[in-house]
Amino acid sequence: MNAAPALTVRREIAASAEELFDAWLDPASLAVWMRPGDTQRTDIQVDARVGGAFEIVMHTPKGAVSHTGTYREISRPHRLVFTWNSPYAGQTDSLVTVEFHPRRGATEIVLTHEGLPSAEMVAAHRGGWSDILVLIGKVHEKERAAGVA
Amino acid sequence: MGEYRNTGLDAVLGAVADSTRRAIIARLAASDARVTEIAAGFPISLNSVSKHIRMLERAGLVEREVIGRDHYLSLNAKPLAEAADWIDEYRRFWTGKLAALEDFIKHKHQTTGKRKKR
Repeated sequence: MNAAPALTVRREIAASAEELFDAWLDPASLAVWMRPGDTQRTDIQVDARVGGAFEIVMHTPKGAVSHTGTYREISRPHRLVFTWNSPYAGQTDSLVTVEFHPRRGATEIVLTHEGLPSAEMVAAHRGGWSDILVLIGKVHEKERAAGVA
Repeated sequence: MGEYRNTGLDAVLGAVADSTRRAIIARLAASDARVTEIAAGFPISLNSVSKHIRMLERAGLVEREVIGRDHYLSLNAKPLAEAADWIDEYRRFWTGKLAALEDFIKHKHQTTGKRKKR
């Protein structure tokens, strides 16, 4: 199951690794930043220890969306690993690794989300998959050009 | 992200995991075709090709229209596009979260900075 990383997002933030790390485990902090734009309220439950569970419930105009998971590794302030389950991630557990790399006066956060069903496929069938995507693009262009609804 | 539909995602991904089925999709992307025309392009039996086509139908990628004795197949690329969107959705999700985290930290620094000055 050691497939290539599914997706990686990086961001350098002007803060210490400790401060950023803590923002991932503190419910009051999470309630502020871990919510999409249309979320009215976010309920957070965090059991910040290895094997402990968390639940982030985002209340949106369309209804509540629950994200749950279990902490696999808590190495303050370097690495945080947790499983991730949400209506968007399908039925399977995916895995999120957040690394905190101190840079001069800042910290680079490298977030890797793996075990996503489609990502596994992308990794395993990269060639075929990208061919397919090119094809889809062409088909859509053709449909649009032909004015097909 | 709205309500993201995951139903059928596994079927779609399973369907494109095979090179013969990808070739069938590629053939149908060019134009609609009869089952027999498609089978003629592959060095495997009509029966095997039919099995692959049925998998594509179950995934909603291929639609079949029966006219007389001919079975015409056409490509419906929408489920594939949805599956591909999925990883992009998550990339956007986490990019948005890290941006929100930065805003949160900046705001926190500003307010604590002000307090220190007073």
